[in-house]
Amino acid sequence: MPHAISARPPLSLPWRLLLLALLWSVIAGRDPLSWMIGLPTVVGAALMSWRLDRTLADGAGQPLADTSPGAELTLDPDRAAAPRSGSRLSLPGLLRFLPFFVGQSVLGGVDVATRVMRPRVRVAPGLQIFPMRLRDPVAQIAFLNSISLLPGTLSADLHGCVITVHALDSSLDVAAQLRRLEHRVADLFGERLGETPDRDPSPPEEAVTDG
Amino acid sequence: MIDLTTLTPLINGLSVLLISAGAFFFLAGTVGLLRLPDLHSRLHALTKADNLGLGLVVLGVLPRVPDVLYGIKLLLLWIMVLVAGATGAHLIAKRALRGEGEPR
Repeated sequence: MPHAISARPPLSLPWRLLLLALLWSVIAGRDPLSWMIGLPTVVGAALMSWRLDRTLADGAGQPLADTSPGAELTLDPDRAAAPRSGSRLSLPGLLRFLPFFVGQSVLGGVDVATRVMRPRVRVAPGLQIFPMRLRDPVAQIAFLNSISLLPGTLSADLHGCVITVHALDSSLDVAAQLRRLEHRVADLFGERLGETPDRDPSPPEEAVTDG
Repeated sequence: MIDLTTLTPLINGLSVLLISAGAFFFLAGTVGLLRLPDLHSRLHALTKADNLGLGLVVLGVLPRVPDVLYGIKLLLLWIMVLVAGATGAHLIAKRALRGEGEPR
């Protein structure tokens, strides 16, 4: 296995309850009446996140993939064999990631604002395929979400480890930008990226053009 | 030693500037929602403009918070809106691509 990843047990239910209760008390303030809504919310959220994490741990291959009958699942053999790969959020990685993220957020907002505020909207939307090398489910989710918050790209679908990216300007090649972002996210979770999948990732059938 | 009375209008000015800029990006997000040609492009406008817009508003309000806890609360809200916005956008985009849900 090329990725050196240390195992981490999923956070236990009491810890989840405690952290979410803390989060609620910060947001809702000191009014005890707020717990009428807060208590069921905290318990529900803790149970759901705990179950989701266990599902991720059990079905190691398909963390985000859809299980509805119509969805075609392309299982990556490498990924399917991988056990629960719990990389930890690394603090130095976070300190390196944050300024990058803030800078890119500004660029992303300015980019989309300038495109829509001019007399003629300047977009050439299209879909591109990106094979992802990250293996830890949490890192993958962080990567998917970061894609959507950064300039010009939106994570639109996921089949196995192949992301369908919607680009606001498809004349630009977003792959280089995404590879840089993937390295940042890998650094954030202390994950070492494996080799790029050598097989050509075939695009999912639905993802041809977008009306 | 900097006099606090000269600093306060400076901070207030900065606050106003940041909040106005944030409001501009919220406006840009809405303009994008109305003007962009398709569902996926519209999601771009909403996620990115809201991220930056809310970030700027939070930054503008931060110097005016009564205590540290309040500031932490604002930052937490920003992070949660980011995560919820990006996750929601991904789910909407995925459903639309796979042709599930309501017919277009």
